[in-house]
This record gives sequence, C-alpha cells and structure tokens, in this order.
Amino acid sequence: MHRLQVRTALMGAAVAALATIAVPVATREVVATAQQTAPPQQAELSVTLSSTTKRTVLAVADFVVPSGDAEAAALSKLLSDVLWADFDFEREYSLVPRAKTASFGAPARPEDVAQQPDWGSSGAGADAVVIGTVTRSGKEFSVKIDIVGAPGSPAAGQIGFSSLYEHCSLANPRFCSHSIADDIHKKKRGLDGVARTRLAFSSDRDSARMGTRTGVLVSGKEIYVSDYDGANQQRFTFNNSLNIHSRWSPNGNQIVFTSYQTSFPDIYVADLAQAGRGLRRPGNGNDRVQNNQAAWSPDGSKIAYVSNRSGNYDIWIANADGGDARNLTNHPAADQNPTWSPNGQQIAFTSDRATGSTPQLYLIGISGQAIERLIDQRVDRPTWSTLGFIAFTSGANFGHDISLLDLVSRQVTVLTDGKGDNGSPAVSPSGRHIAFTTTRWGKEQIAIVDRRGSDVRQITNTGNNTYPSWQPIR
Amino acid sequence: MRRSGISVLIVTLAVTTLAVAGCKKKPPVAFPPASGGPATPAGGGNPPPPAPVPPQPPTIIDNPPVTSTAGKDLNAMTIDDINKLENSPLKPIYFLYDSDEIDDASKKILEANASVLKQYSTWVITVEGHCDERGTAEYNLALGDRRALSAKNYLMSLGIAADRLRTVSYGKEFPFDPGHEEGAWSKNRRAHFMLVSK
Repeated sequence: MHRLQVRTALMGAAVAALATIAVPVATREVVATAQQTAPPQQAELSVTLSSTTKRTVLAVADFVVPSGDAEAAALSKLLSDVLWADFDFEREYSLVPRAKTASFGAPARPEDVAQQPDWGSSGAGADAVVIGTVTRSGKEFSVKIDIVGAPGSPAAGQIGFSSLYEHCSLANPRFCSHSIADDIHKKKRGLDGVARTRLAFSSDRDSARMGTRTGVLVSGKEIYVSDYDGANQQRFTFNNSLNIHSRWSPNGNQIVFTSYQTSFPDIYVADLAQAGRGLRRPGNGNDRVQNNQAAWSPDGSKIAYVSNRSGNYDIWIANADGGDARNLTNHPAADQNPTWSPNGQQIAFTSDRATGSTPQLYLIGISGQAIERLIDQRVDRPTWSTLGFIAFTSGANFGHDISLLDLVSRQVTVLTDGKGDNGSPAVSPSGRHIAFTTTRWGKEQIAIVDRRGSDVRQITNTGNNTYPSWQPIR
Repeated sequence: MRRSGISVLIVTLAVTTLAVAGCKKKPPVAFPPASGGPATPAGGGNPPPPAPVPPQPPTIIDNPPVTSTAGKDLNAMTIDDINKLENSPLKPIYFLYDSDEIDDASKKILEANASVLKQYSTWVITVEGHCDERGTAEYNLALGDRRALSAKNYLMSLGIAADRLRTVSYGKEFPFDPGHEEGAWSKNRRAHFMLVSK
C-alpha cells in the first residue's frame, strides 16, 4: 500500500474568487458556491492511496443542456468527457468507461439515476454517478453537479455531493471541467488535484530558422504552454532562436527560461499573460556572462541559475530581480541543474567534480555550507518534490530513464521501463505525476507517468518537444 | 570522457590572457603548437590555402550553399555572406564521443584558422560547441561548453587574443546532420566558428 503525504494549501473562497487567471487561454476562475470549509492557514492533510482497497467506482453521465442544438450537445459531451479524464488521471476513483454508459442518456435529477438500474451493479457497475446540468448565460455558463449513489449501491439514490459552478467560459469549457474535478477531489478526497495546472515545454514544431551554418539551416525552439492534459497548446515565445529550460514561478504567473535570442544564452522572465512581451533579464547576461537553467525559490524571492561568469558553469543565487548575485558552488567542475528544497534552505544540483565527466547529485545549503553528494551514480536534471523525493534522469547514452530518489531511505526507484530515451523530469505540484521527454514514439515528445511508474500518457505529438515544466497550483 | 590534461606550463599564459574573465579556476587548456608552427597566411586579399581536409560539411538540408571562397575578397564580403560560405575560411573541428580533447587533425585545422584570424586581425568570432544526440540535453550543454573552451584555449595558445574569441554552447540542440548514426554524429560533435564582427 502506498501512502502519500499530500501538503495541502486550502485557500479561502474569497481568495479563489479574486485570483485572476490566465492567458494564453482566456480563462476565469470558476466559482463554486458549495460551502467551503476554509481555514485561513495552510493545513496538512494525509491522503491514503491504496492499491489494495477497492476504490469507489464512479460513472460520469452526459450533462443536461437546456437547448437541443448541436453546439449545446457537443458542449455537454465535452464537459463530461474532460471531467471523466480528470478523475481518471488522479486515480482516486475507479472510472466506468464513458462508452459503456453512452446510451444511458443525461440524467437531469438524482431520481433519474435511481430509475435507471443500468448505472449500478446490474449494469455499468458504478457505485456513484456524477450528473450535471448546464445553464448558458451569454458567453458564460454554469454547471450544477450532483454525485448520486447508483442503483444497487448502499447509498443508492442519496446525494453525496452537490455544487453549482458559475462563470464557466464558452471560450474554454475544458477549464470548467478541470475546476469541477479539482473541487471534488479537494472536498471529497482532500487532494490538491492538478487539473487546472499547465505545462510549459520547448518545441521545434514551428521550426523557425535561426540562420545559416555554412550551408546548413538550423531550426530554433520556442516555449509552448498547454493544459496539463496536453489540450490548448499555445506558443509562448516568439524570438526565432533557441528557447529552453522553462520553469514556473511559485505563484504560477511567470515563466523563466533560457533564450539564445542575443546569440548567447541568458535567462528571461515573462508573464504568462504577456506571451512574447515584457521580457526581463535578471541575469544581466552578455557574451561573457552567460546564464541558463534558472529556478525560483519556493517563496519566489530568489532565483538559482547556472552562470559561466567565473570561467565555467557554477550555481549562482540572486534575488528574483537579479540583485545580490553570488556564486554558490564556485568549483572548477561543471555545476548545473539547480533545484530548491521545499523549505528553500538547500539546493540540489549536479556536478562532475568527483568524476571529471559524469554528473552526480549534490546538496548544498543556500549559504554555501554543508555540501554533500547524495548518491554515487549518474544523475541529470534533478527536480525536488515536496513529497520528499528527487526525480532525475538516470543512465547514459541512449538508455536514460526517469528515476526517483527517496530522500529518507536514499533508495532509487526507476520509473520508466527502458522504452526510448527518457529525460528532463518535471514533478507535478502534488508529487503524484512526473512529466518528461521521451523518444519512445519516435520523435522527442512530452509524456506523463504516475509516480508508481504506470499510466504513461502522451502529451505532445507535433515536432520535437523537450524540457517540460509543471505549473504550481495557483 | 577524460577531462583534457592541464599543463602547468601554460598557467602563466592562462593568468595573463584570461584575466579579463576573472577566471581563477579551470585554467584554460592549451596545447603546444604542432611541429612546424602555424600555417603561413596567404598573401593579399586572397583566401588562405586550404586546410588539411576535415570531414566534409554536413548534408545540405535546404537552400543550396553559396559558392566557395575561390577568387573572393573576404574584406569585401559581408559577415553573413562569409558565414554562409560552403568553403568557410574558418574550418570546424571534430571531437570523439563524449570528449573535448583536441586531436592532431584538429590542431592543424586550428592552426590554419589562427592564420586566418591573424591575417584578418579585426575579426571577432564565436566558437560554438556542439554535441551529438546521445546523452541528456542538459549534460550536452556542459560538454558543448567544454568543447568550445578547448578550441578557444588552443587558439589563444596560438596567439589569438581572448577578446576576439567568444564561446557559446548549443549542446545537442543544433545537429548539423539530423541522422541517427555515427556518420551523422561524427559531424555533430564539433566546434564551429562563426564570424561576428570584422
């Protein structure tokens, strides 16, 4: 039995309502009217993920839409499909395949579920059914959600959950379902779901040509942003050069990345709401001061990054605006890939100082104290999770896999199964999934695997896609 | 790979030439010039003599290349045009897998490149470090950096001033040959020289 400690930040309803969301896709916070038990401070919840205990079997019905037009019907199906996929992703419930219940219609009321025995143990096998009713109002709509005990279940006909979700936008209905999924996971399971989070990654899909190399034209890479499930992929940078190493700010509103737009790598910060504009350069780089691989501290006040300004790659720390930059590692070996501890007091990074060429994993205090090698094996691109492990790329040549280092036991678990070349892991904010780059389907693509090593999902399928990063929960 | 050997003999050179970078660590790796010394520059505005033959430039992907330097006056050409020359006056050097060591063939090429830089004494170049697709993207950034620095340091040992030599690592991001076998990889493990001002 796996037991995951999930750190949960409960936000007050007012805060949630005030938070503005997010371009590139115009989305607005979906407001749930159900009573929220909202302690003002962070609370820590423990969620037990069991592989032996039987999970509740959940079915998601087509939602009811008032008008019978084709657009409304499509909206209904989309909303329930996305909600189903969000539940399926987190694995808190066992899901009845949507196709299995496609002919059951769209129940408008809990009684409608009770009167359709096929939902329950004599048919689809659901313990409970999620039903929804959509009400449109201009460019917005709302969804009334009920979770009803299925016929034959101990709670048959009872309403286990009920909430109204308002201010859903027709411009991005998927976000409405994501908001519903996160809300239900939170209230029913105590889980901070990631359905509303996004991924950033690099892609050569638009293949802007960077220039000529003695007869060879070279393609650039731009940063793209998508929903966590790969939907709504949108370009974020527009400078026709190489743009890599994206990382999100702790508040999820900014992305820092490495760009070669001046012909030399430097770190750039851009607001999610201003794709391609308003770039800031906290590393103050030039051809002699080259910076890359930046990462924000957990409180957002500092950045760590790699710089060659002392003659070779070292880890540097500065204030988020670039002030007070100092060399943290200061070693003639190549130090790279800084990742912050959840409490912001340590940084893990890779260095080839012990081997002369093979990068290994080190830990250092942010004042430069207590340097320690964590494990004696090849490590690249570590990413520190709040759940007490570090995900990294293991292996060499073409045999790279994604592995997890448990920081208490110091045990390493290999997550991927040797299919293709795998690298650049990014951990979801809940720590339950890892996004990574893989060649198992041919070109380089972004994939997600759960932290047990199962349920691999392909996120991208156009061009080569690399360097994923996962937006924090906002 | 092994990190390239560091010669005590060149520490003095390193301190003086790299002072501008404030480098107090990782002294630049320099190599004694090959016997016979640097190649003799060609006279006048003519292009330098052909260097010892390196591996051929990689497969041309798209546009046909501009014709060779034969008969062209580099002083009259734009920087872009010079960089686009199929037969560039600055030849790339190639590396063994996972290595940043300058082998004998590369030394000869760098000596020819140094001659060109001495002939065109105002040229400033960028040394790009490139890698093949094996290994992680992040690791290859560091390897490309080491390759660029190896080439830069050897050019410095031949008398080219540090402030004329910039370096940048592209890791494995810009393969010159998109293939997935040693024939392509051998072209992609390189230090590439780009003219940035003249």
